[in-house]
Amino acid sequence: MSRLWRRNRHWLTPALFLLPGLVLFGTVILAASIETVWISLHDWDGIGAKTWVGLANYIELADDPQFYVSLKNNVIWLLIFMLAPPIGLALALIVNQQIRGMRILKSLFFVPLVLATVTVGVVFGWVYDPNFGLLQLFFSSFGGTAPALLSDENFVTFAVAAAGLWPQIAFCMILFLAGLNGLNDDLIAAGRVDGARGWRMLRHVVLPQLSQVGFIAIAVTVIGALRSFDMIAVMTSGGPYGSSTVLAYQMYQESIFSYRFGYGAAIATVLFVIMIAFIAWYLNGLIKAERSNA
Amino acid sequence: MSSVELRKVDKHYAGYHALKAIDLEIEKGEFVVMVGPSGCGKSTLLKTIAGLETINSGQVMINGRDVTEEEPGDRGIAMVFQSYALYPHMTVAENMGFGLRMANRPKAEIDAAVKRAAQILRLEEQLDKRPKQLSGGQRQRVAIGRAITRSPEVFLFDEPLSNLDAALRTQMRVELSSLHGQLGSTMIYVTHDQVEAMTMADRIVVLNKGRIEQVGSPLELYANPANIFVAGFLGAPRMNFIEAKVVSADASGVSVAAAGLPAITLGDIDASGVSAGDAVTVGIRPEALHLVERTESGTPAFSGQVRLVEQLGHETVLYVDASPLQATNSDSGTGNFTLQLNKVSAIGVGAKLQVGFETGDAYLFGPDGRTLTPRKPVAST
Amino acid sequence: MYPRPIPENAKVQRALYLGGVTLVVILWLLPLLAVMLTSIRSNEELMAGNYWGWPQKFSLIENYKAVFEQTAMLRFFLNSLLITIPSVIGVLILSTLTGFVLSRYPFRGSNLIFALFVGGNFLPAQIMMIPVRDLMVRLGLYDTIYALVIFHIAFQTGFATLFMRNFIAALPGELFQAARAEGASPFQTLRHVVVPLVRPALAALAILVFTFVWNDYFWAIVLTQSDAVKPVTAGLNNLRGEWTSAWNIVSAATIFVALPPVVMFFMMQKHFVAGLTMGAVKG
Repeated sequence: MSRLWRRNRHWLTPALFLLPGLVLFGTVILAASIETVWISLHDWDGIGAKTWVGLANYIELADDPQFYVSLKNNVIWLLIFMLAPPIGLALALIVNQQIRGMRILKSLFFVPLVLATVTVGVVFGWVYDPNFGLLQLFFSSFGGTAPALLSDENFVTFAVAAAGLWPQIAFCMILFLAGLNGLNDDLIAAGRVDGARGWRMLRHVVLPQLSQVGFIAIAVTVIGALRSFDMIAVMTSGGPYGSSTVLAYQMYQESIFSYRFGYGAAIATVLFVIMIAFIAWYLNGLIKAERSNA
Repeated sequence: MSSVELRKVDKHYAGYHALKAIDLEIEKGEFVVMVGPSGCGKSTLLKTIAGLETINSGQVMINGRDVTEEEPGDRGIAMVFQSYALYPHMTVAENMGFGLRMANRPKAEIDAAVKRAAQILRLEEQLDKRPKQLSGGQRQRVAIGRAITRSPEVFLFDEPLSNLDAALRTQMRVELSSLHGQLGSTMIYVTHDQVEAMTMADRIVVLNKGRIEQVGSPLELYANPANIFVAGFLGAPRMNFIEAKVVSADASGVSVAAAGLPAITLGDIDASGVSAGDAVTVGIRPEALHLVERTESGTPAFSGQVRLVEQLGHETVLYVDASPLQATNSDSGTGNFTLQLNKVSAIGVGAKLQVGFETGDAYLFGPDGRTLTPRKPVAST
Repeated sequence: MYPRPIPENAKVQRALYLGGVTLVVILWLLPLLAVMLTSIRSNEELMAGNYWGWPQKFSLIENYKAVFEQTAMLRFFLNSLLITIPSVIGVLILSTLTGFVLSRYPFRGSNLIFALFVGGNFLPAQIMMIPVRDLMVRLGLYDTIYALVIFHIAFQTGFATLFMRNFIAALPGELFQAARAEGASPFQTLRHVVVPLVRPALAALAILVFTFVWNDYFWAIVLTQSDAVKPVTAGLNNLRGEWTSAWNIVSAATIFVALPPVVMFFMMQKHFVAGLTMGAVKG
């Protein structure tokens, strides 16, 4: 036994090390994700037996107006979130100065990122409150009245996504600050010698060096936009009249509230496919970047 | 029984043949230096002896035991790495005692072994320090000390001095040689520095493209390189090479000529390997070239102009343009010839001069690169 | 450095710049400051409509006392700790193991396994919601703290493996070869070489995972129901439903929920930023 162990320990021990993490992640995350696809081909209330229905859930989905509302809202989230990288970059440029006291200001900029999305939701619920909120204060100081953003079907998604933008900007800002820290000083100096400054320096010398960080910032922002759930759950519960749902939230509603687990799984699968396409694009980009670095 | 023996050791990476059927025997107590250009496989070969690289076929024997399948820790080897590989979170003493602690040896034994090694390497004062607090030379000695505490049968060194500055390198070279004398263990040492190879080795193994080109004592390899690669690799400045054509080859010798060099005849050569018209290479070491008053018929000579002079104090190196005669693959890369004079010389750039050599000092390499000239006597030590 | 640094000796310019940035920070954090302000306002003032004026009376103590005494927030807070701390410890252990193996023991398929860890980490939570919930129900763990701990360890191991694998891969390879040549077994290498050397990475990872798990809301509402196991995030949302008009209490509770990650962040800011950018940039 001990001889056998000694001869084989150099590969047996690593295998044992890998096993717990792999098994846990493999069953709870990966296998579960695939199982969802399987469930989406069934009619299931979450308790009783599953009934095979083939693609019926998807066919129903294709005719479900709520599905298109969710899809449209997902696109709105995505578009609004695309503001996060440029604003994050702007803030990073503003605070990238070595002045006494700048460090604490930098940290204060990061705070929204550390807050729970629920907290952000509650905070902005308060901001948007049409009677007492900050927004009302702002409007009344100009003599107007604040729109009730969260109960207006046309504005609600924009309002919620704008709240979600807050921590996302902080995230992008952290990434760009790291990128600015890693700039090649010689290139900047060379640019200055060549007479580049201000916008032209940013455009021709700085931004090209930030392309990898920028790529990552866009990627995490897209993922963040597609993942949006908490804010909607906290601020609107999908309302009014289902006008602020996204795929993630609709899926949750159909499963947990309507006990339509098969249908919910079908919505999750659609989200999954969108995400997979995106992840493939992302990983492909990373591998390309790594190759060109090597 | 040899200390280390490699039998037909073969190693592939994806699409790359790193070691090609290496056979090598190393005697107990020998100091063997493996040398070659980067990518020749010398480090890979060392790591296969250590067991850090697996091999695709062949056998590795240490003290007559087949260790091919054994883990590095079980092979009776200790290794010193180029980056020293000291653990930053351990003190010098902990670093040196690491191997014995891993083998669960009693503390008293570990302490004694660490103390002994520290004494040999003059590290007693440093035992409680961390690697970060030490100088480069001290770190290097700790790495060697870590190897000594395990009292291995074979020491393996992977370019251990390449991170040190020139002065320290010379000092550590001397220390390593005396350490070898003191311990009497087998040592295998990998370097790309031919000075280290020449000065430290009992035997040198010259590697190129995954193959052993030649094995032998430093002076033997210097005097009698087996082929053009070894001739060019050992010796600084490099040997001068002239691409030439065989004019005639018969029992009296081989006669060769090149543009700018009148035909010279090299005797005592087995002429069966070459025939008239073959492309061959003539080699001549920089110290074998000398200045002559005028061209005498019979001794080979050529005229040229000095392009560059390097005064090294005890010797002078001249780079001579002898167009149309070209030196191929030369140090300067310009086709100039390199002359090494064992004295200070007043010759300046632009000087025109006559260069000659004895045919007995010349080497002739066949079309396949093998040395054709007969054995030359090796300077006795 | 870009933008061009303001010169050291331009004292006035530097002060003005700092003042300007401070103004931007205040605007940036205005929503949070408003909530903080409200959290120290008294009921009477809110009733009277004084939402934005300077508070005539500071009710800091009363409001927070009310949160502790009249709501279940303290219970939720404790639950959050009971969920978060074991999750962080579990993730650190598992990811040190997986990261070590995936960076130092290349084998056929190791890249595929690594890619699965990385890819799985980007999946939206909803895709695994139904089976995970079903699994926990079947294991009898639904509506217990264990359900959340197990899920969080599993999910965060994906990100953490990426993180630890990259960190260990960046350590000098010769340290590991030396350990092997010295006869250290993989377990000894883990204990005597890897663990001491990855401490800074573990610190960064710990604070990140703490923040992620503490802030989770989705799984809290999917896997728990009762107040006895609910974490603060789910608790806060419930509270808001119950105390609709008592914005001062809700605000105090909000600050209370935000406190641990914010305090952790300010205590270990360097690790947090380094961890986040390393995880993302090296990803």
